Amino acid sequence: MNAIESASLRLYWPAQRQRNRGAGGLLIVVAAFLALYAYLFPGLLSVGGVAKFAQSWLPLAMVSMAQAILMLAGGVSLAIGAMVSLGAVIAATTMAGPLGVAGGAALVMIAGLGVGAACGVIVVRLGLPAIVVTLAASFIVGGAALLILPRPGGTIPAWLSDLLAGDKPVAAWLVIAVVVFWKLYLATPLGLSLYAAGENPDAAYRAGVPVDAARILAYAVSGLLATCAGLFVAAKTGSGDPVIGEAFTLNSIAAAVLGGVGFLGGKGAMRGALAGSLLLSVMINVMYFLGFPPVAHYIAQGLIIIGAVALPEFSARRRAL
Amino acid sequence: MTPAPTLAARGVSKSFFGNAVLREVSIALQPGRIHALLGENGAGKSTLINILSGALLPDAGAVEIDGRVFRGLNPRDAHRAGIAVVQQELGLTTQLSIAENIGIGALPRRYGLIDYRGLARRARAAMDLVGLNEDLATPVGDLPLGRRQMVEIARALFREPRVLILDEPTSSLSAHEVETLTALLDRLRAKGTAILYISHRLNEVMRLCQHVTVLKDGVVTADRPIEGVEAADLVRLMVGRDTGHLFPAWTPSADRDPIIQVSGLSSGVLRDIDMSIRRGEVLGIGGLVGQGQEDLLLSLYGALPASARTAEFNRQRNLPASVRRANALGLAYVPADRKREGLHLIHAIGWNLMLPSLARAFSLSLRDRSKERVLATALADRFAIKGDLTRQVRALSGGNQQKVALAKWTPAEPQVWLLNDPTRGVDVETKREIYALLRRLASEGKAIVLSSSDTPELVHLCDRVAVMREGRIVATIEREALSEGAIVAAAMGADPLRTAA
Repeated sequence: MNAIESASLRLYWPAQRQRNRGAGGLLIVVAAFLALYAYLFPGLLSVGGVAKFAQSWLPLAMVSMAQAILMLAGGVSLAIGAMVSLGAVIAATTMAGPLGVAGGAALVMIAGLGVGAACGVIVVRLGLPAIVVTLAASFIVGGAALLILPRPGGTIPAWLSDLLAGDKPVAAWLVIAVVVFWKLYLATPLGLSLYAAGENPDAAYRAGVPVDAARILAYAVSGLLATCAGLFVAAKTGSGDPVIGEAFTLNSIAAAVLGGVGFLGGKGAMRGALAGSLLLSVMINVMYFLGFPPVAHYIAQGLIIIGAVALPEFSARRRAL
Repeated sequence: MTPAPTLAARGVSKSFFGNAVLREVSIALQPGRIHALLGENGAGKSTLINILSGALLPDAGAVEIDGRVFRGLNPRDAHRAGIAVVQQELGLTTQLSIAENIGIGALPRRYGLIDYRGLARRARAAMDLVGLNEDLATPVGDLPLGRRQMVEIARALFREPRVLILDEPTSSLSAHEVETLTALLDRLRAKGTAILYISHRLNEVMRLCQHVTVLKDGVVTADRPIEGVEAADLVRLMVGRDTGHLFPAWTPSADRDPIIQVSGLSSGVLRDIDMSIRRGEVLGIGGLVGQGQEDLLLSLYGALPASARTAEFNRQRNLPASVRRANALGLAYVPADRKREGLHLIHAIGWNLMLPSLARAFSLSLRDRSKERVLATALADRFAIKGDLTRQVRALSGGNQQKVALAKWTPAEPQVWLLNDPTRGVDVETKREIYALLRRLASEGKAIVLSSSDTPELVHLCDRVAVMREGRIVATIEREALSEGAIVAAAMGADPLRTAA
């Protein structure tokens, strides 16, 4: 900040702070769960512990952001899981071949951007409901992933697996890199327009906001995040699996909703989606440590989502009285 | 010879679904002139604005900017050419800050990113022009309606427009904000901006504008300097005949027994309200915009949780705890935001008219379609609602929509009508019909509570006016003492004018 600038002209950070109001409660819950987890598993507080935890969190964090960006734009995607699978199989079939790691990674990104943008064009230009288009896309993309790699297999070069999913906390740095990428995206005119385009597309159009471009770009960025998450999942397991992404579709919605991202567009922030995904990850890990059966995870997850959505409502009503 | 118009429409026509909304309309906006565009709701004003600003394409005719013909003009081109529009309906993004809302669509950038420092500086300058002193980073969702309207205006000014189009900018502004705006427009005019000003408030238009174009049913009926025109002439040009007096004669009703009495009512912003509502009267609720008028109506209607020391509704103790209970007690509420709260826009007119009646019927009883049709037709006739009852309410003009919102309650024969700004954005003719209806209901012994931002309406229509400020009733003015001055003075806290409630 420039010294000449008066306090009243500060804008970027105060605006960010205001936008993240109300995330406080969630952050406290997340911190409490993290503390509990660290108490149960003191190993978390070492470099290796952070590395392992970040590795389990990163894919969910990325798909939650992929979902949140579409929900901000007034849409939703049911194709996130299929996109993750697609990213994983492309990585597993190309990276050990003549294209190499760089070529494979580029292909993964191109596929994510391309398929995402295609969904976006169909939704935006034809005015079809996002939920239907992405449902159809989930079948098509899931089918394509099975065509590329009919059964689990393929290989990821060992050095890449070691780098991304080894003992060093590279995944934690990647989380930070994704956050920075998002901040930069939202600091562009087209990125910020997402909020206006999501909340009130007609008014935004009249205000000269390139609504269509902003929304199509959001679909493309969402696809990119999802396939890159797939790449990471493949690197973690060392091979590709054409159905590995399935659980991510609903989990990404769960995390975004937990983080306070609204279904009607324009409401919410990336910080919320990220915190939501963190809460889900930590919760699953904690319950695993406490020896809960997997069924209990699902039930608890459902209860927590309902609670997280209902709590702000209740407190708002209390304030109104 | 006049200079070339900055923005002009030449013989534009536009139809929607075979309905001609504009027929060969021409209008020319000159620099340094405030040009009024008048017409009833449904006359085609909004369509003309949308064509001038590129949001709609005309079927025939052309838009000219600086004498150059633009075909396929879109909003971005229009913005680039220096045309800015303040829409009647708010189009702000609640989660974004004031400054981001002002800049969006024309954000200054540096290295591909938003130049937040430049944005802050320029947004501040635009806010200063309209007298917004809020923090730049405040989310727009935190602002009351009137302030949001000022943000809309600041958004238009941010683009330093050569042509500024304002569609009913004052309908949700307080008196003070209107003054700020008027002074601002005069300054802009002096600097050579071409301004198109749409308003239903004729005295504003007479004071502010130099030229007027009147639209009636999509045709221009007048295009002339405003000098030498009487307000009554303009009204005649808009409706095509002499409207006579806008307000019906006021006669006191015989039955003046209290039907609702509350004391110590608190809810939301409301603090310790004492009031009594009598049969046969129109009780006005006045004050600046957003002083708790809506909360008062809603808490009487059981739609907001509220508490009261004592309350008596139609001889029943206690406040209604729910809308259903309020309906059973004989209350009806007509909201200000008819598009969102008052009507189901995508459903048929007839269906909307039947809704409160359906809600009162036994839950699982079968509907009697032919009876419904008869009743809906009768209502439409009585309220002079134009159009086929099977059409969507969305297709109606604002005035006709409002009539549907009012008419749908009459089969329930409410004893108390709670009306929230029922004439906002409604054309003159419909206003007159609504006023006559309100006085008729009062003479039938019904109680009317009329919250309004239109002060003349309160003066001419009401038996008493309660003026609100900061969630309290600060004065209750009786008929004999009613004047615009008295209401405004009480609303601004200028004068401790109090009479017994």
